[in-house]
Amino acid sequence: MYHVLGIDGSFPLLYFIWLAPLVGAVVLWAFGPRLKSLAGPIGSALIGAAFVATLFSWNDATAISGTSAGAHQSMFSWLPGFSFGLLFDRLTLVWTLIITGVGFLIHVYSIGYMAGDRAVARFFAYMNFFVFAMLTLVLSDNFVGLLVGWGLVGLASYFLIGFWFERPSAVAAARKAFVINVLGDVGILYAIIVIVSKVGSIGYGATFAGVTTLFTPHELFIVCAAIFVGCAAKSAQVPLHTWLPDAMEGPTPVSALIHAATMVTAGVYLIARCAPLWTASPDARALVGAIGALTAIAGAVLGVAQWDIKRILAYSTMSQIGYMIMGVGVGAFDAGVLHFLTHAFFKAQLFLGAGIIIHHLASEQDVRRMGGLRKEMPFAFIAMGIGVLAICGIPGFSGYFSKDAVLYETLLAGHPVLYGIGVLTAGITAYYMFRLLFVTFFGPYRGNVDPSDLGIRHPELAGTAQSAGHHAEEEKDGHDHGVHAPAWLMTVPVAILIVPSILIGWLAFGGENSPWKRFFAPVFPHASGAAVAPIPELWSGIIVLVVVAIGIAVAYWRYGTATAQAGSVERLRLESVRMPRILTNAYYFDAAIDILFVRPSRWLGRIFGTVIDPMVIDGGVREVTHTAGWLGHLFRSFQTGLVRGYALYLVFGVACFVAYYAWIGAGR
Amino acid sequence: MIVFWILALFLIGTGVFTITAQKPVHSVVGLLGNFIALAIMYLTLNAEFLAVIQIVVYSGAILILFVFVIALLSSGVKPFDVGPDRMPKILWPAILLGIIALGTIVSSLLRTTAAPVTSSTRALYGQTGDANAFGSVTDFGTALFTSNLLPFEITALILMVAVIGVVLIAGDDAPARTKPKARNIPREPIAR
Amino acid sequence: MNPSLFTVPMENYIALSAVVFFLGVTGVIVRRNPLIMLMSIELMFNAANLALVTFAKAWVNNTGHIFAFLVITVAAAEAAIGLAIVVVLFRKRTNVDVDEVAVLKG
Repeated sequence: MYHVLGIDGSFPLLYFIWLAPLVGAVVLWAFGPRLKSLAGPIGSALIGAAFVATLFSWNDATAISGTSAGAHQSMFSWLPGFSFGLLFDRLTLVWTLIITGVGFLIHVYSIGYMAGDRAVARFFAYMNFFVFAMLTLVLSDNFVGLLVGWGLVGLASYFLIGFWFERPSAVAAARKAFVINVLGDVGILYAIIVIVSKVGSIGYGATFAGVTTLFTPHELFIVCAAIFVGCAAKSAQVPLHTWLPDAMEGPTPVSALIHAATMVTAGVYLIARCAPLWTASPDARALVGAIGALTAIAGAVLGVAQWDIKRILAYSTMSQIGYMIMGVGVGAFDAGVLHFLTHAFFKAQLFLGAGIIIHHLASEQDVRRMGGLRKEMPFAFIAMGIGVLAICGIPGFSGYFSKDAVLYETLLAGHPVLYGIGVLTAGITAYYMFRLLFVTFFGPYRGNVDPSDLGIRHPELAGTAQSAGHHAEEEKDGHDHGVHAPAWLMTVPVAILIVPSILIGWLAFGGENSPWKRFFAPVFPHASGAAVAPIPELWSGIIVLVVVAIGIAVAYWRYGTATAQAGSVERLRLESVRMPRILTNAYYFDAAIDILFVRPSRWLGRIFGTVIDPMVIDGGVREVTHTAGWLGHLFRSFQTGLVRGYALYLVFGVACFVAYYAWIGAGR
Repeated sequence: MIVFWILALFLIGTGVFTITAQKPVHSVVGLLGNFIALAIMYLTLNAEFLAVIQIVVYSGAILILFVFVIALLSSGVKPFDVGPDRMPKILWPAILLGIIALGTIVSSLLRTTAAPVTSSTRALYGQTGDANAFGSVTDFGTALFTSNLLPFEITALILMVAVIGVVLIAGDDAPARTKPKARNIPREPIAR
Repeated sequence: MNPSLFTVPMENYIALSAVVFFLGVTGVIVRRNPLIMLMSIELMFNAANLALVTFAKAWVNNTGHIFAFLVITVAAAEAAIGLAIVVVLFRKRTNVDVDEVAVLKG
């Protein structure tokens, strides 16, 4: 196992990579209103520069010398054991490339998508701030820096989900996301406290070096569980997943960057970074693997019941991250990270493609009102089609390699039940993704059909999600808003993303000797002893393919056949009406949280507001003033103005003096 | 011995009469009796000069001052009308406090033993002057103008300050305070 | 004859002085006529003088007499000023009562 602290003590290019987005954020915040349409290019340029710098640091990041790996830049040391710095090894390199690279593409896309919005500079400022925060998270060489980045990323997410703050649903969604994220922060903070008390340092190196010597197994499990609370909150694992579907209130580029490619994968990064901790604690691995699998299947089942295109993608994200968590949880670190890599590309592509559709259809998001778009929007069809093929794990596309790797390594690690759940989930994923494809792009166009005929119960909620800024613009100009942005800003990034969606999986081709495995061999500790494989890898692949094919066939039978397409209006209406309530209410998780936590908090707040605050606290202050007033009145009563009274006081004083000196004495 | 007790009784009696008389003039008379009794007591205490001073200054000057002020205040107004008593319950607490303080002094007196005065102490603390002439004019005068000259001069100053203060406070109707009334001076008739 | 010898014990004189003193105090507190209050104050002065002269005899020391003399003088000055104040205060009033002069009330 390699010492995770980098080679040299100095690598200043890291500062540029880390801080360039922050500079962008500050500049755009400060001068936003004056920059207007320049804000987008400025923000994108800075992220692009960071990406180029990352490419330049490839050699230093991958360098290995002795027992150290990567580059390191120490910043400052607060106490012995509390030193802060930036770390750039292979794991960080992968994340940084995605953050800056995909981030850059999404920034360019946003220039087109958000054009005409009245707060476009604020948007890019927030996006740059998010990139900075995410880089803080992955570049830190210690747990506290990680936590700082963790919290800032949650903050950026809050900003961006609630970007159109005139919508109360957006504000509520942002608040919900932030509160759940803070819960995760507490978990990580607790883990840091335990680590500091045991190891005396916050650095990764010191902690991992002392994993077997300084922690009892029970303590190690506690630390891992606390860290996993943070990961569950950030990566939307059950039971802290409820914020992710609501987070779709933000603009589509936000959903693409934050809630698909980067922020929600921070949990995966943390578990992969703390690989030594997980390798040493089998109980933690079992816990994480189980929850990952549970999330995967729960998300997939819920995805079947969604009608909003972004919500379908949101639940698919939750499910795929469940895969990643399961992968890194059972010890298949490189498989999990590979799935992160492929997922970043095809999910971003899916979201951006959805954004193109939404933008073109004047903010319509309900798939029931779409249909037959493959003739009208061929480019979107190709892009989303490729994304769907990738996510289903069709051979030849990137998702195939990563998903198979995760599943097979789970089986190798000795978790057949989790393997079964994962395979089943793959089938369900194929079903609902192809359902999305068929309903959206095939059949007649249903945008002109009356919403109630389609089973839509709240038409006024549909179609206004993405448009707060745009509608203002529309009412002002009165012209079709699809005209005022050059289409290439939105199509070119999506086109660029197609390539890795197909090809990047091939990095893992070749089994044990693939470039991917060799890349990560120095970073992740391999489980000792050769695992006995119950079935060969080829058979596992065939099983998964069969299940996926069944899923696709069911979807085709329900939505893709000619009769299904012709009668799509009636078919969709029936399905909307017959959808089980437990699915439409997301297993009643939100209701449970409301009853368990929200209502008692409100009740407590009411008590404090009506009883304790006015009576106890205000009452205390009032009593102080009353006492002061009462004392004042008391002393005032002595001032009678009568000479005789004063004379009496004098005599009384004299009598006291005389008595004192006569009876008690005049002192030593 | 008997002299002392008679004088003591007289002192206390006139004191009570002074503080309880209804008319101020009666109080003045009571005070006069008090001073005279006190002068005689000084005589028994070998303080001859002081006895005379007591009569001359205290009863001769200060009491007359009181009489003049009583006369001044009774002119033109209903003599010594009194308003409502604002502190009606003050009598008994005052007497009680007085008795407490008094009792404390007396009891502490009885408990202490005075330092014995022998002929040797007399030699230590004795003043210049003949012991036979203690308290006499000669003795007193010598002490006043030699070893206690400074207090004497300062006392003169105090008296001057008192006079000036009285003039300032009670003051006459100085011409500066009131504008001179325009007087109707008849003009000389023009000689025709 | 030794002037420091008392036919009556010295404590008698001191006790007498204390009694007259507190008679004066009572007079000051109880009476409302300012003139009588001032006279009570004179009583108090005299009681103090008595004590001074007694001790002067006990120690055969002239200083007591001097002190008493100065007390008399200062008492005269104080009586003069006090009476001047009384005169000014009660010139224009209908009654002569210190309880009416409660300007410092509150």
